[in-house]
Amino acid sequence: MSTHDRCHRSWRHSRWMAPGLSLAIGVAYLAVGLAGGQTTFAWTGFAIMVVFAVALVVSGRYSETAKGLLDHRDERINAHDRDAALLAGGAVIVAVIVMFCIEIARGHDGSPYYQLGALGGLVYLGALLWQRWRR
Amino acid sequence: MKNAVRALRTTRGLSQADLGTALGVSRQTVNSIETGRYLPSLPLAIAIARFFDQTVEEVFDVDA
Repeated sequence: MSTHDRCHRSWRHSRWMAPGLSLAIGVAYLAVGLAGGQTTFAWTGFAIMVVFAVALVVSGRYSETAKGLLDHRDERINAHDRDAALLAGGAVIVAVIVMFCIEIARGHDGSPYYQLGALGGLVYLGALLWQRWRR
Repeated sequence: MKNAVRALRTTRGLSQADLGTALGVSRQTVNSIETGRYLPSLPLAIAIARFFDQTVEEVFDVDA
């Protein structure tokens, strides 16, 4: 028996997923920055994301935690990752609700916070139904 | 919940890193299990018990 469920391993659990995503975001910053004429933002954003991707790969060779975050083979570090993501998501949702209330109090229509809040709610309900259906 | 992981490991002359490698987890995770700071999943608890040729109940004391 494996201590991690290989059946559920996928491209999301590849050790190159996080660095690859960082590079992809960097390329996106570069593309939209250059397209919008914001050269400084384009190259700075790209450089930051490249440095972050390299730092992830290098730290994965020296730190068990970083390695675990990259390869997702350690259930305890996976739990840390999941709990941290949950906390971060909760913080974003609270911020969106607070900003929505502030915008309404200022007499605005609540954009874009009500769209973000609706998106969060719909994703939550969808995920809930998906989990309920799966197990 | 108390467990006998540290005693079983040291009896066999293994380091935490050795056990972690055998179980597919990090040394830190083995340490957290031994000190009771982390309660392993059922698959990992069974893997630990099988590694030491014990039952889960012999390794993990649910009453402690």
